[in-house]
Amino acid sequence: MRSLWPAILIAAAVLWAGASADIDLSKLAASGPRMADFLSRMFPPDLSIMREMGRGLAETLRIAILGTLGSVILSVPLGIMAAETISPAWVFRPTRAALALIRAIPLILVAMLMVGAVGLGPLPGILAITFHATGMLAKFYAEAIDGVAPGPVLALDSIGATRLQRLRFGIWPQMAPVILRDTVFRFELNLRESLILGIVGAGGIGLSVQTYVRSFQYDKAATVTIAIAALVVLIELLNNLLRKRFS
Amino acid sequence: MTTARTPALHLNKVSYRHPGDTASALDAVSLSVAPGEVVAVLGPSGAGKSTLLALLDGQLPGWAGAASVLGHALQPERALPRHLRPDTGFIFQDLGLVDRASARQNVLNGRLGRTPAAASLFGRFTLDDHQATDQALQDCGIADLAGRRADQLSGGQRQRVAIARCLAQQPKLILADEPVSSLDPTRADSLMRLITSLARDRGASVVFSSHQPDIARRFADRIVGLRAGCIAFDTSAAGLNEAQIAGLYAEAAVAPAAQPLPDTGVA
Repeated sequence: MRSLWPAILIAAAVLWAGASADIDLSKLAASGPRMADFLSRMFPPDLSIMREMGRGLAETLRIAILGTLGSVILSVPLGIMAAETISPAWVFRPTRAALALIRAIPLILVAMLMVGAVGLGPLPGILAITFHATGMLAKFYAEAIDGVAPGPVLALDSIGATRLQRLRFGIWPQMAPVILRDTVFRFELNLRESLILGIVGAGGIGLSVQTYVRSFQYDKAATVTIAIAALVVLIELLNNLLRKRFS
Repeated sequence: MTTARTPALHLNKVSYRHPGDTASALDAVSLSVAPGEVVAVLGPSGAGKSTLLALLDGQLPGWAGAASVLGHALQPERALPRHLRPDTGFIFQDLGLVDRASARQNVLNGRLGRTPAAASLFGRFTLDDHQATDQALQDCGIADLAGRRADQLSGGQRQRVAIARCLAQQPKLILADEPVSSLDPTRADSLMRLITSLARDRGASVVFSSHQPDIARRFADRIVGLRAGCIAFDTSAAGLNEAQIAGLYAEAAVAPAAQPLPDTGVA
């Protein structure tokens, strides 16, 4: 009987979600012509907005680059503080808890708060990405530090290497590929996430998407969507190349 | 300074207990090694061989007794001072190579204790450092592998890199912790020959641990049997007999009494 409980709970959750929300499946069935109309208005994509779109994409890229830079700067000391092999428990435990808390706050919520704090434009976007990404990146850095094999470091200590020499020749060569790989991965995530920041006024291409959809200019929205997808695929390909290089 | 009369190392009733352990890992061990001498420390697993070598390398503070290495008295509560470390080379059982660094960089790392530290952080090493590195690579037969990453080398090649790193350090005393335990007999022979012949060429003393009596007999001048942290025997390689070996490895045997050397005092 005990083994049935998870199944009962899941079934109850699904029934509750389906029954209590205002979801009318008949609407979906009847919306065929509307969807066809919507899609037909997206094609052909309007390419006249290339210049404006280019500016939006460039701003998004800048937000992702500067946000990543900000989170790297914060993650170095926080990563060291969160590493259990080099920081005492009274430092790494609360640091890890704080990083988990940061990760738990959705980016869009952080961005809205930053817009409230510093006004519209790319700056709140950069701050939001910096804050949000640090929760993950500092944890990755701490794991990179904790993952360093002690053998080579002990060997250099035995040779008579100073603390800095051990860091430079024993610890850094082990950590560097992991840190570079994780930073590039986080940059890719930052870029994806910064695409939507414009929706809450935090700069970038997201603002254009929102404007075009709300003003029913679906052909322009289609152009932006295709451009975003192309950019994300490009960055992912680049990321895969870099990851192979760092492995 | 080490002179002909100063032993390469001297231990007088040295004891050590690992933190949290009730039994001693080393129990009143007395031992003296002459300059240029090759000594094998023979014993079963857990006899205290690795502990003895780590202690001699200054890695294990917190021991009792008196010890000197190359004429310098070791401080029981302190790690070996940094400036003395380059004179003692250590070949680790797990090698301790930096996998992503090239074989040459790993060997060059052996110079870190001797080269100006600040310049080395920017990758600048002296001509002496480069010459010692190239010579060690050459002597160990891996000059053609110098540019390969350590993690792309075979087990035997990695062993040679670790030996070359130790030689590049130009130590006066080489401590080797089971340097060939994981190798087949042919490879083990060639590596032991490499270590001992290169050490002899350089006039360095060698203390290596092993659980293989054959290896100890063939490559050491002297063999010290270690059992349950105590010295069971201390004999010339030619003088090692089967009874001593059997006693060392007999499971049910009572721990043999230690045979400390005469108390000569330690500098």
